[in-house]
Amino acid sequence: MADEKFDAIIVGAGMAGNAAAYRLAKEGLQVVVIERGPYPGSKNLSGGVLYGRVLHQLIPEYWKEAPVERFITNEVVTFLTGDASFNIDFKTQDFGKPPFNGFTVLRGKFDRWFAEKAEAAGAMLVPGIRVDKVLIEGGRVVGIAAGDEEIWADVVIAADGANSFLAQEAGLRERIPASQMALGVKELIGLPRQVIEDRFHLTGNEGAAHSIVGCVSGGVTGGGFLYTNLDSLSIGLVMNLDELVQNQLQPPEILEEFMGHPLIAPLVKDGTLLEYGAHLVVEGGIEMMPRLYMDGMLVAGDAAGFSINNGFVVRGMDLAIGSGIAAAETVIEAKSKNDFSAQGLSAYPQKLEASYVMADMHTYAQAAGFLKNRRLYKAYPEMITKLMRQIYRQDAQPKKHLMQELLKSLKDSRISLFDLVKDGYKGGRTL
Amino acid sequence: MNIVVCCKLAPDAADIQVSSDGSISLERAEWIIGGFDLQAIEAGARLAEASGGKLIALSAGPHQINNSKLKKDLLSRGPDELVLVIDDVLVNADTAMTAAVLAQAIRKIGGVDLVLCGEGSTDLYFQQTGLQVGERLGLPTLNAVSKIESRDGKLVVERSLEDEVEILEVPLPAVLSVTTDINQPGLPTLKEILKAGKKPVTEWTLVNLGLDLSFQNQVEVIRTTAPHHAQRKKIMISGAADEAVYALVVYLNKEGLI
Amino acid sequence: MNKDESRPMSADIWVFSEKPALLDELLAGARVLADHIKGAVAAVVSGPVEKTEEAFERGAEKVFWLGEIKPGFMVEDCVPTLAHLAAKEKPYGILIGSTRRGRAVAGRLAARLNLSVITDVIAFMFENGDLQARHMIFGGGAVRVERPVSEMILATVGPGIFNPLPLTPGRKGELQIPDFIEPEWRLTLCERKIKPAPAVNLPAAKKVVCAGRGVAKQEDLALMEELARILGAEVGCTRPLAEGLGWLPRERYIGISGANIKPDLYLGIGVSGQVQHTIGMSEARVVVAINKDGEAPIFDQADYGIVGDLYTIVPALIKALKARK
Repeated sequence: MADEKFDAIIVGAGMAGNAAAYRLAKEGLQVVVIERGPYPGSKNLSGGVLYGRVLHQLIPEYWKEAPVERFITNEVVTFLTGDASFNIDFKTQDFGKPPFNGFTVLRGKFDRWFAEKAEAAGAMLVPGIRVDKVLIEGGRVVGIAAGDEEIWADVVIAADGANSFLAQEAGLRERIPASQMALGVKELIGLPRQVIEDRFHLTGNEGAAHSIVGCVSGGVTGGGFLYTNLDSLSIGLVMNLDELVQNQLQPPEILEEFMGHPLIAPLVKDGTLLEYGAHLVVEGGIEMMPRLYMDGMLVAGDAAGFSINNGFVVRGMDLAIGSGIAAAETVIEAKSKNDFSAQGLSAYPQKLEASYVMADMHTYAQAAGFLKNRRLYKAYPEMITKLMRQIYRQDAQPKKHLMQELLKSLKDSRISLFDLVKDGYKGGRTL
Repeated sequence: MNIVVCCKLAPDAADIQVSSDGSISLERAEWIIGGFDLQAIEAGARLAEASGGKLIALSAGPHQINNSKLKKDLLSRGPDELVLVIDDVLVNADTAMTAAVLAQAIRKIGGVDLVLCGEGSTDLYFQQTGLQVGERLGLPTLNAVSKIESRDGKLVVERSLEDEVEILEVPLPAVLSVTTDINQPGLPTLKEILKAGKKPVTEWTLVNLGLDLSFQNQVEVIRTTAPHHAQRKKIMISGAADEAVYALVVYLNKEGLI
Repeated sequence: MNKDESRPMSADIWVFSEKPALLDELLAGARVLADHIKGAVAAVVSGPVEKTEEAFERGAEKVFWLGEIKPGFMVEDCVPTLAHLAAKEKPYGILIGSTRRGRAVAGRLAARLNLSVITDVIAFMFENGDLQARHMIFGGGAVRVERPVSEMILATVGPGIFNPLPLTPGRKGELQIPDFIEPEWRLTLCERKIKPAPAVNLPAAKKVVCAGRGVAKQEDLALMEELARILGAEVGCTRPLAEGLGWLPRERYIGISGANIKPDLYLGIGVSGQVQHTIGMSEARVVVAINKDGEAPIFDQADYGIVGDLYTIVPALIKALKARK
């Protein structure tokens, strides 16, 4: 092929793709990012918060120029029943100061900024083109094809998201079973800044992130989330795909029901629906990760299965950025040795293992499994709310001590003490 | 044949926001290349390729047109070069000011054999630009062109009017405004997008064009508001098909329509 | 254009259109404007002398007769003559019929006179003695009011805005025959093909059944045609079905750059209701919409709406209508 060859072709201008592109371009390598949407972020939907310290390492003080929404100073876990809720509500001033902890972002805006940073650093961005396949010669990935056109590179970084087919194409993974996938549905609800700040007790650009568990998803295991943006709320559900299909449930209807819940409705009252979207989420954890590299190719971000839901926080973006950086650094080293074989790229999993990325995937390996415990969604929320109701209720009847009330609530909710202890222990060890 | 194609970069009118008091805003609208202009670009690209000539895309407008994504998008559709005339005085430019600026830019580019324009701009659709530019340049100028063929240094064009089609011979240089029947532009290819970033972009101001900055619009905009909609009954008929249809028939009968 | 101090601007309104019916409508509109400024109405006529007589009978006080179009010349070749005349006589305004030729004449005239054009005016108003014009922009999404800052107003007006004045048979006026100024360039006409008269005149239809993107296949249009037949309606469509898919001829497409209709009944089937389309039918007396998407914007602009699958509803409607006969 007479055409120029790139050092790297990155498929997908999301968090992993942009991070890798930026890092590679900064190092002076010729890199092209191919994005199938009309602009970076157009095909992305996040149900999480950007825990940005890793981005701060890559682009110091990114918050000064990036279109971030609010910095999260208030993290809440809510157990929800039909008519009651119990919150674990944590606020800290510490998260309100640089380098901050987490930011809410709107992917359409953020990814575009991130891609522009990569372009400014020298990366080429090609939007609106869908990669159809990887080009393999002699068992080695040498480029990609989009329609009739082919371009070539020393390495292809597959950062094409949760529905990634490149990793499959290249033989690095099998099709992910529906039981390991979840469907995230999300609405963006517009509300004036002042209303959000009043409703969620925020000042200035402070933000709140709510994780909701319990009676949210029509009997399907899953959780809800609600994040405050500057002048909108991101609210949504992540539900197990298999169960959705088995129960023949319609996600938009479940979401509407959730938003109509008496404890959720006041939070979104009088808001304007700005956007609705759905996206697949990988939930398999470390068990379901594909092989991450082969001759001429690396897999990063959601395509590699890097996502963690530990019940308290939902993470994908920071892991994607971390893996994108690791991929870039691997390519830089491979280039210096001019070895892009699997051997030459083997530094990739090593870098991931050495960093928080794989460390956290290991730590939370059992989290997904634990979070499938049905008691979390019905029995425990009911038990806790019943308990709290008993504690607070004054009805001219004799009161009992906490221990008695607890045992009674357990009995009423049909939770054995054994289950409680077992679950508590398991939760403490996996989350 | 050296060809200049004029394009307008403007806010996407589909993103218009209407407030309850009837005022409208395009503040949050994305700036786009006009769809009719994309067709003119495609026509220019095909003619330039066939004749071995150069295609230059030309656009004039306020600072928002200096948008790297739009510039790359324009260059990924066939033009070899891009010329931008950027000046905030051009926001709300009337047809005369637009034509005067573009005509002057074309003079400055020089050596132009053919100027192509789309049927109308994406946001205003006044369908005037090409005609006024051509006349200001003193060149043969025609609108409603639905087909262009090059023959012995002249163009033979099909002009599609309401009741008739004229086949006309047009000497060069000339200015033609094309209709939507002229072609169906495809999507830019990967290679074209990659090449776009390397093509030259020239930026001029009105001062560069030697235009008298005191010249103003001949027409003044007084107000822009949302259109008044007839109050509709908005009666939603629910029920199974047969029931709904029966109810509709009753209503239609009451309205004296059947 | 330069203000000629020695010669005040006249209060005349001129009209021009190569289409006689449109010229008659413009004369009526010009009459209203001229009365307001106490001026006269003048028609610029190109064609046989009969056309000048008709112009007087339809309300012109003056006619500038450009004569018949000579062989080898086209309508637009009158532009230099018209420009010279306007620069000399300085009318208050010139209204030109908004056809493709009309736009060409207006644009080229504007460039010669260093004026702008207010296109496709839907209404004129006088505010504080100033003439203002209203037209649609943003694909039908907004209405804009503009006024000329220049000495002369140049505007194009489409059909259906003004109603022609009744004929006053035998009415006469002042006929002037300006010198024809040879244009600097002329194009060679190789061939002229008359387009067959359109099979349909949608703007004249009293009832219209409009097919939208909800119609899945071209063959399914037969269903729309049957419904139209029973209702005594014409079949129209949204732009994608005409221009994109080519299922129906251009004359049947209703919208911002297509037909503008004011029927008694508009029945939209599988039409989502984008503003570029609804601008073409918003003045229908009764609007009925059938669409399976309850959120489709068309329902906000309908008097009666049914949320349902058109493939179930339309056959049921046909059956119900047949049963009444």
